[in-house]
Amino acid sequence: RCRLCPPQRALRAAAALRRPSEEQRKEPAPSSSQHHFDSHPADEPPEQGTQDPWASYTGQDGQESEDSASEEQLQHRILAAALDFVPEHGWTAEAIAEGAKTLGLSAAAAGMFRSDGSELVLHFVSQCNTKLAELLEQEQKLVQLGETQKKTTDQFLRDALEARLRMLIPYIEKWPQAVSILLLPQNIPSSLSLLTSMIDDICHFAGDQSTDFNWYTRRAVLTGIYNTTELVMMQDSSPDFEDTWRFLENRVADAVNMDNTAKQVKSTGEALVQGLMGAAVTVSTAARARR
Amino acid sequence: ALARPARGLAAHGETHFGFQTVSEEEKGEKVYQVFESVARKYDVMNDSMSLGIHRVWKDVLLHKMNPSPGTLLLDVAGGTGDIAFRFINYVRSVRERQLRRKLKHHQNLSWQEIADSYQEEAIKPLGDSQVVVCDINTEMLKVGRQKAEHLGYSEGLSWVVGNAEELPFGDEKFDVYTVAFGIRNVTHIDLALQEAYRVLKPGGRFLCLEFSQVTNPVLSRLYDLYSFQIIPVLGEIIAGDWKSYQYLVESIRRFPPQEEFKEMIEDAGFLKVDYQNLTSGIVAIHSGFKL
Repeated sequence: RCRLCPPQRALRAAAALRRPSEEQRKEPAPSSSQHHFDSHPADEPPEQGTQDPWASYTGQDGQESEDSASEEQLQHRILAAALDFVPEHGWTAEAIAEGAKTLGLSAAAAGMFRSDGSELVLHFVSQCNTKLAELLEQEQKLVQLGETQKKTTDQFLRDALEARLRMLIPYIEKWPQAVSILLLPQNIPSSLSLLTSMIDDICHFAGDQSTDFNWYTRRAVLTGIYNTTELVMMQDSSPDFEDTWRFLENRVADAVNMDNTAKQVKSTGEALVQGLMGAAVTVSTAARARR
Repeated sequence: ALARPARGLAAHGETHFGFQTVSEEEKGEKVYQVFESVARKYDVMNDSMSLGIHRVWKDVLLHKMNPSPGTLLLDVAGGTGDIAFRFINYVRSVRERQLRRKLKHHQNLSWQEIADSYQEEAIKPLGDSQVVVCDINTEMLKVGRQKAEHLGYSEGLSWVVGNAEELPFGDEKFDVYTVAFGIRNVTHIDLALQEAYRVLKPGGRFLCLEFSQVTNPVLSRLYDLYSFQIIPVLGEIIAGDWKSYQYLVESIRRFPPQEEFKEMIEDAGFLKVDYQNLTSGIVAIHSGFKL
């Protein structure tokens, strides 16, 4: 086969493809891979060898992994553009087709994705999680620099969950459809992993350093709070979703109380045991002294 | 039983015509004669050779394409119009569904608006979708046009005579390019693929439905038996033409297997190239995007 093909292929690539890869050349592979639901980036690291993908022919492998990285990028751009059309078309292949059209591509490019719109929803959820993690990290930096006060646990959890749920507001009308897509059997592994990593992030930034069973309990409770609040939000018609935030406040307060109670019970139990041991030693010493 | 010669070319300027070796100019002529003679019985023979399964294969191709209204399709080697008619049906039903959904959403429409939407449905039942059927063989096109008249297809359909290696269309005109059971008859497949790349818009999709290598060894032997013993006999009985059907069966064996064809498509510049085997590999759909 012709060895001249790779650079030829590079020249023929559409402008839409060339632009982002030139921006990408300076940055390393996107760090959102921890939130990424696709297995593709794990297989083909895009930072092989060449810095200038379009000039010299560096080898078939290098070229191929560059191509797959830029294909990934293009797919992300199409999905990002498609989000604007979700309020009108829902989470469907039609929204993806409209998104492709705004990038100057034919609507047939939507054929790259599955026809049930799952990839659009998963992309959006992954994006929201990344934004949340960045938000929490920024906040943590500010606290470390001493510019803001450290929040109490329940305030922190409330704010983190509220910030995350507010990202759904522009799409709240079509969100029930998105939830149903996330619950499709073929999507459950991806959607579950996105959910657990988001909750893990929140717990981590909340300062959870437990090494016992509490690690699981805390995350399970938080997941429950998030899911129920999401459901409440979907049928909430109050101005700026006040009812939802009040519901969230109550749930978080309950959870933190329960946590405190558990700690209290544990420490009370320990104190009781110590007390009994002390009493037993006192009684036995007194009995021995009397003899 | 017939000996199976190697797939490589004997010498420069020569190519294969079934299991014979002919010069490249001769091949084009001989293929033309084959299809000229089978044109009238083409559909009947398809049904009897594949036991009607070719209809399912073509339906799967359309579902994979999932065209939206407004798509411009180029069907190359589409002679008798099977893909074109299916495309029109698909797009028409998608369009009806779209209009119905629009009506459902706007609950408080005035009578005028409802009547206008009926008008829209009557004027643009296909929503500006168009299919161009291109074939090198005028006999096949003639049969196709008669079928179209007979079945009542008038809108959105064009018939053009043209060579797949040198298409009579400008650059970047079509959203989707399909070739069903035609590309194995082309003398220079790489030229046909390059032409496909040229006429597609950025984001456009290449789809090829073609006979391929059977993956299952047991099925492979049965398939060989069926192909070489039964099909030419059927050809003689139904169409009165043994040699044409002998050629057809041999040309299937000469066509590169799935992976090799996938690489040829990638060489032409297509990205995200993939294939799907149907009926254990008797037929494969290759898909690629011009990105």
